[in-house]
Amino acid sequence: MPAKKQAEKPTLKQIGLPQETLLGLYTNLLKTRMLDERFRKLFRQGRFAGTYFSAVGQEATTVGPTYGLRDEDIIAPSHREIGANVTKGVPLEKIVAQVYARINSPDKGKSHPCHYGWRPKGIITPASTVAGQTIIGTGCAMGFQIQKKDNVVLAFFGEGSTSRGGWHEALNYAGIHKLPVVYICQNNLWAESVPSTLQAGIKDFSDRSKAYGFPGVAIDGNDVIEVHKTAVKAIKRARTGEGPTLIECKTYRWYGHSDIDPADYRTKEELEEWKKKDPIARAEKLLMSLKILTTHKREALVEQIGKEIDEAVNICENEKYAEPEEAYNDVYSEQFPVRRYEDQEVSS
Amino acid sequence: MKKVTFIDAITQALDEEMERDKRVFLIGEDIGIYGGVFKATKGLLDKYGAERVIDSPISEVYIAGGSVGAAMVGLRPVPEIQFADFITPSMDQIIQQMAKMRYRTGGQWTCPMTVRVCCGADIGGGLYHSQTNEQWFFSQPGLIVVMPATPYDAKGLLKSAIRGDDPVIYYEHKRLYRWIKEEIPDDDFTVPIGKAALRNKGDNITIVTYGLMYHRSLEAVKGLEKEGISVDLIDLRTLLPWDREMVFESVKKTSKVVLVQESPKTGGVMAEISAAITEEIFDYLDAPVTRVCGLDVPVVPFAPPMEHFFLPNAEKITKAVKEVLEY
Repeated sequence: MPAKKQAEKPTLKQIGLPQETLLGLYTNLLKTRMLDERFRKLFRQGRFAGTYFSAVGQEATTVGPTYGLRDEDIIAPSHREIGANVTKGVPLEKIVAQVYARINSPDKGKSHPCHYGWRPKGIITPASTVAGQTIIGTGCAMGFQIQKKDNVVLAFFGEGSTSRGGWHEALNYAGIHKLPVVYICQNNLWAESVPSTLQAGIKDFSDRSKAYGFPGVAIDGNDVIEVHKTAVKAIKRARTGEGPTLIECKTYRWYGHSDIDPADYRTKEELEEWKKKDPIARAEKLLMSLKILTTHKREALVEQIGKEIDEAVNICENEKYAEPEEAYNDVYSEQFPVRRYEDQEVSS
Repeated sequence: MKKVTFIDAITQALDEEMERDKRVFLIGEDIGIYGGVFKATKGLLDKYGAERVIDSPISEVYIAGGSVGAAMVGLRPVPEIQFADFITPSMDQIIQQMAKMRYRTGGQWTCPMTVRVCCGADIGGGLYHSQTNEQWFFSQPGLIVVMPATPYDAKGLLKSAIRGDDPVIYYEHKRLYRWIKEEIPDDDFTVPIGKAALRNKGDNITIVTYGLMYHRSLEAVKGLEKEGISVDLIDLRTLLPWDREMVFESVKKTSKVVLVQESPKTGGVMAEISAAITEEIFDYLDAPVTRVCGLDVPVVPFAPPMEHFFLPNAEKITKAVKEVLEY
């Protein structure tokens, strides 16, 4: 009993992280959750087109590893990395604009909601091809190694991605050359509708790293402290030339694959069990027990973040779409302008 | 001026660009210790080291996709796909990432890189060492696709590709590697992407072609000239974007055109050029646009009589030219 009590209420010394880091992690978790829930609401209200991919429930898997990265470090995301964008400091307006597909969006409205990416913070705009950014992110790490830079790459993907051949080619290459990359597998048990038991014949996806000659570790992905500390160690390893690490974060997405998916392939009981492990509530409880956070301070944070989100949404609601002819831009460098067929006359 | 083979011109371009620009690196199967299966990268590992001449594992997905990533952080990768036949695993990376990177990120991220692809038949390579498949990439905006036919262009186009800011698929025809020799300048030179070359001037008819088929067409042109038929012979050099101006100007002048490609006829590069001519300068035509192409079969067959039956040659081209002239 006393041992358990101690585990529930560890001291700062036992945690081994500064107060500032703990508060920073929590603030980013909260901001990610609030923004995500707001997006879901806006989508249901029909405020933006397409669909929406919520990351609610698995925020710790993105916030934890990203916190403390340098601007020059690269994030190679999938489509649920809203937390990595928030934590790396992408302005909220840019994140909201991506979802709204307006002219102020980093991609000028060309890609898709949830394809968050912003060059100044080193976040690659994701493609929808599964494990896509794992492969090119590994290439970024190869680039850093050739350039002799000590930047690192964080590649995020779901457990389903690890079934793809290209994913294995990338990890194999990273293992051969000890590339500065950290692979974060967000095992949320479901790849769209397919359970992880039909994805692989192993229980821990982190075991896959054994085939490539670098460490793999499976951790509680809803414990932001554990995720952060594990990632920091792996990032240090990568930065100092010791090579990659595969971190499997066991987690769960609360909502469907996208917001048009009722997720009726899984049980209510399963969802309820995981909701009890809510990464934000857990971090909050811990910080309160450490007196780093108070109810009053939390309320102030919620108010402040809410205001920031309101402002960003307001800007994007009032922003225009790019002109349709923007479709012609960014195909090639300026050397090769695209032919505009509407200018063409029928041969007479 | 020195006389060099087609493959030596490629090696020279790689060497000179690596010397000039530290961002340039090579990655591919057997390109380092072995110097490439055709020796295109011979000597470069010793000169530039294993960090810039990388012997990759057998991983075409990674060769292409990893290069995209390296290009995104400021390098100039020149990956090699050993045979065009084995480019299919890379397709996802080339089509979804390399071709779309600039577009889908609103110009934030780009991947200036040059994928060297060894292609082509007429060497008895068999089913999986003979394909030309430029038509797959020709239909993907965002890519530049080139296929030189001479040592001068092989060197100059490769340099332009490496120096440019766009992703390039650079097809090198293996039949040309050691067959074609040409005197090329010792000084640094480039060949502009997007510009075709008018190799022979004539008034009676236009032939548009590229790659090995340029040489087959040239053979036909020499024979036709003996019969008093003069031909505008255009070597496209760049397929995407192709030189519309030069092709249209010539067809407007001759009013007759034969299009020659090694790849199967259906859906090929010449299908697009044929459509563009009929759509845009129809009134200038005095005869149907005519194509001489590889057969519409899945792949180049192995047995020599079948391989030669598959391929366009001077005889087939000459026959097509005469039919068009007699129309």
